[in-house]
Amino acid sequence: MTAARFFRHETILAILTIVAMVVLASLSDKFFTADNLLNQGRLMAEVGLVSLAMTFVIVTGGIDLSVGSILGLTAILLGVFWKNVGLPLPAAMFLALACGTFAGWVNGFIITRFSVPPLIATLATLALYRGLAEGISEARSVRGYPEWFFFFGQGEVMGVPFQLWILGIATFVAAIILGLTPFGRATYAIGANEVAARFSGIRVNATKLWIYTGSGFCAALAAVIFVSRVTTTRSDMGTGLELDAITAVVLGGTSIFGGRGTIIGTALGLILIQALKNGLALSGVKGDGTIVVIGLVLIGAILVGALFDRNRGG
Amino acid sequence: MTAAVLSPGRSNLHRFLSGYGQEIVVLLAIVALFVVVGATNHRFLSNTNINSIFAGNAYIAIAAIGMSMVIMAGHIDVSVGALIGVIATIAGTLAVSDYPIWVAWLVPILFAIMVNAGVGTLVAYTRIPSIVVTLGMLSILKGGLISATAGEWISNLPPEFMIAQMRPFGIPSAVWFMVALTILAALFLRYTDFGRSIYAVGGNMEAARAAGINPERTVIGVFALHGLFAGIAGILFATQLQVIQSTVPPNLELTIITASVIGGVSILGGTGTVIGSTLAAILFACIGSALIFLNVSAYWLRAVLGLMILATVLADMIRRRRDT
Amino acid sequence: MRTEQIGDAAAAGAGLPIELRGISKSFAGIRVVNDVSFDMRPGEVHALMGENGAGKSTLIKVMAGLYQPDEGQILVNGAVVRFPSPKDAHAAGIATVHQELLLFPELTVAENIFLGQTPKTSFGTIDWQTMRQRSRQLLDSLDSGDLDIDQKVAHLSVGNRQRIEIARALAQDARVLIMDEPTAALAEHDVQRLMSIVRNLRKRGVAIVYVSHRMPEIFALADRVTVLRDGHLVATKPITEVDEPSLVSMMVGRAIDRLYPAKQGTDGEVILELGGVSHRSVVRDISFKLRRGEILGLAGLVGSGRTETALTIFGITPATEGRILIDGKPVTIASPEAARDLGIAYVPEDRAHQGLIRPQSIEDNIALANLKRLTRGIFIDAARVAAEARNAITRFGIRARGPEQLVRQLSGGNQQKVVLGKWLATNPRILIMDEPTRGIDVGAKAEIHQLMRRLAGEGMAILMISSELPEVLGMSDRVLVMNGGRIVGEFDREHATAEAVGTVMTRSFDREQAA
Repeated sequence: MTAARFFRHETILAILTIVAMVVLASLSDKFFTADNLLNQGRLMAEVGLVSLAMTFVIVTGGIDLSVGSILGLTAILLGVFWKNVGLPLPAAMFLALACGTFAGWVNGFIITRFSVPPLIATLATLALYRGLAEGISEARSVRGYPEWFFFFGQGEVMGVPFQLWILGIATFVAAIILGLTPFGRATYAIGANEVAARFSGIRVNATKLWIYTGSGFCAALAAVIFVSRVTTTRSDMGTGLELDAITAVVLGGTSIFGGRGTIIGTALGLILIQALKNGLALSGVKGDGTIVVIGLVLIGAILVGALFDRNRGG
Repeated sequence: MTAAVLSPGRSNLHRFLSGYGQEIVVLLAIVALFVVVGATNHRFLSNTNINSIFAGNAYIAIAAIGMSMVIMAGHIDVSVGALIGVIATIAGTLAVSDYPIWVAWLVPILFAIMVNAGVGTLVAYTRIPSIVVTLGMLSILKGGLISATAGEWISNLPPEFMIAQMRPFGIPSAVWFMVALTILAALFLRYTDFGRSIYAVGGNMEAARAAGINPERTVIGVFALHGLFAGIAGILFATQLQVIQSTVPPNLELTIITASVIGGVSILGGTGTVIGSTLAAILFACIGSALIFLNVSAYWLRAVLGLMILATVLADMIRRRRDT
Repeated sequence: MRTEQIGDAAAAGAGLPIELRGISKSFAGIRVVNDVSFDMRPGEVHALMGENGAGKSTLIKVMAGLYQPDEGQILVNGAVVRFPSPKDAHAAGIATVHQELLLFPELTVAENIFLGQTPKTSFGTIDWQTMRQRSRQLLDSLDSGDLDIDQKVAHLSVGNRQRIEIARALAQDARVLIMDEPTAALAEHDVQRLMSIVRNLRKRGVAIVYVSHRMPEIFALADRVTVLRDGHLVATKPITEVDEPSLVSMMVGRAIDRLYPAKQGTDGEVILELGGVSHRSVVRDISFKLRRGEILGLAGLVGSGRTETALTIFGITPATEGRILIDGKPVTIASPEAARDLGIAYVPEDRAHQGLIRPQSIEDNIALANLKRLTRGIFIDAARVAAEARNAITRFGIRARGPEQLVRQLSGGNQQKVVLGKWLATNPRILIMDEPTRGIDVGAKAEIHQLMRRLAGEGMAILMISSELPEVLGMSDRVLVMNGGRIVGEFDREHATAEAVGTVMTRSFDREQAA
């Protein structure tokens, strides 16, 4: 928990990111241009938002596999509320956000009230929420959103994509909550030793419930941005998002066993992954080949972490 | 069941019912489904439909056998869907090349065993949770598959390669495989030391060590076995249709895990039977088919599955709480 | 065949199933077992007694092959042996019935008995028929004909599980059976049954090491008794040569009073009062009053309901019946948070698991129970956290590099001081200390005792739970004794003697329950 130790992991990661950037820039002259970087930032926002909440979840020693499904469900509901129910778009957005947040709350409720392991609980809701999205949409996509709506996914503020601002602010807020507030302390304590946290008067279940609800909210927010960016809703949106988010969090130095991790690490993990994806694609690696690299980087990072832990005698 | 004397106070029937409670529930559900849906729509009971329910989903049941063992040992594998996709593609590629057919069948299975033994080794010795290792494996397999094939379909498969479409004694070979492998696995789990040690390791790892079992070796063995079953499932999947799509079947791992869990395998490890998981796989297939015959949109199938897995898990947790 | 062997062994004397000579064992520089010799004769029940920390469990772990002795020899049948692992001890015929039963919940009774040595058919597969028959025979021979060998162990009672462990030991042809507090978790009728099984085993020539605190069992079963104290052998005597008071004084031994700090000041007004408080069946009808400035000792055996009572007061397992009053006002304590806000602090018995977050720093741990107070606006006030930690370090003399040092790097005594520091920073008025000096070396022990006395002198009301009788007697102004979830005795300082308290602790309360 000492600042020095955290600093070490993040420093390594930051150096790695910079090296990757330099190498990728030398492989393709299109990589290191303001346009490309800002565009990559735009693509990063959805995974990024989810990863921030996922950091909290994993720091408590849990996991949330249902985020991709929540994103899909929220997107579908947004379209349905607007097009089929006929609500004004702002109201539909608000309601869809509320539903996504509620989906996250349900995860937390199942996990805390019935002591279902988070892995299993969210695996079940992964199927359930995606199933609801498919059932409600019946594979029909919703299009034809008004022009102003595309601002969230395609607009720019002072030359920077709108959602990159959102991600930036969210990262800042998340970093402060996890690093500097009593809530953050409680999060770490629960992940490191849940029993001792409870014996110290920490409200363990309430904290977890907030975190899973927050995870649902972030996925829902990502859904709105996603829909706005691609101008359509489909029920398979966000499939596999959980993997990207978990990869970023774990790569960022958060222990999958809980108790350790930072938002800055997650942010660096995100940037590294996005840079690899984009850079490799620009240098001619075929689209999905980059996923292999990410899988390897994920296992490699944890392996190094585990060996490191063992050497410390943890 | 000649051992009535050995168990005073409880009838064999009682013991049978209490030992296979979950399986019997699933079996009854299947029967009820056939009766109810069959009564409303006779075509549900037609040969074609029953064939497609059983033969078309046998590979899921077979993969669920291996998954059940992994879960019994206290682990999970989310990469099995991608693995099956990769196996199918390797098998198809070999089949359209000049290799003998048995090479096209066996090489992918060996590949699956090796991949999963590797996963098992990582899980057993580094103590990295199986969810993380298999998530990583999922993306490696998936990415590898897509970038290697560029999504091209494999067609013109030689007819002698299509093992799933063969019909010994009038019953699709996929069904034979499903039945035979389920029985073999059940016998294996019951009559071998290794089979019993899976339950022991999943139930109480340190006690297993104290009883002279090597938990690491057991975990690696379980993953390798899981690879074997996934391999066979992959071959059946590959030979079902005239083309191999070279993609990862979406959410296949989820269906397989769900079959294992609903079939009576506790998600906390150490319990379960493979008969249950096979029955559960059949149940899903029946539900999927029944929804169509009842004019319910197939789009709701996954929501139904999600609800079922959630209900099973909650019931399991509540039962456990009552027990302690 | 077995009986012949026993006859030979008894005649030869060199054929003792196990003999320990001059065994010593240290952990982190502390000698836990010091030059202890111990032997078992075939067909005897040998009671091993001593307070917590006397070295009993270390000694039986040496016999079971879990620990390697630093000095001394182990002999089996007169030959010097070594047990590098539990397997080797098994092979030498030494089996253990563990306190936390090591069974597999999802395997059947028969399988649990034979796991690791299942009978095989000629095909190399498990021979269920033989396994079930032999299990049946083994259980029948243990008067457990009612146990269903095909049932999964998950649903069995503790008593039944214990019988399975014993059957497992017999299936391994054990000649020595180590039973570690076998009755600690048993209901009364199971205790009777266990005792008849032990007699049965003795008849069959099995040597039984019987570790227990309970006097009635010892006198009913044992042939010889060995008492350990502070890692030393006090004596090994035939049971006929000792009685209850002499055993207690052998165990307690040292002069108590001068080791403990004297009381300062007088008791104040009643601050905590319990009236008929119960939690399910583990805490039953507890009533007592606790005054400011008082140290109230709660004595009893493990499992007697002491810790459970503390957990109920602290809101971990809220009271299901009865009322709790603080300053004469009834309060509801539904969570540890509520307890803390009412001025109750609990220093738990399991420091590593319940008390501390060991991978975190001293300051993080101390802040944990005080987050509300150490927050300014929405932020944790890092400066105040550090100041609080430094304050605790100086106040309690925690030997650490600084507030950032990780708790797991500290010694047991210093870890305990961190727990204390965390809770005293909440400014409690009622301090519950569960096994305050368990696993702490002698020097740190005295410091903790001094500190408790000082806090009481400043007006703190302290409820102390301890399994060490000298500590209870030396520290407490008043002693409550628990047994079977109830308070069964109360002694003031003058009347709380080792014999009196020890007797009430270890008595089995059939009479009391009938009354």
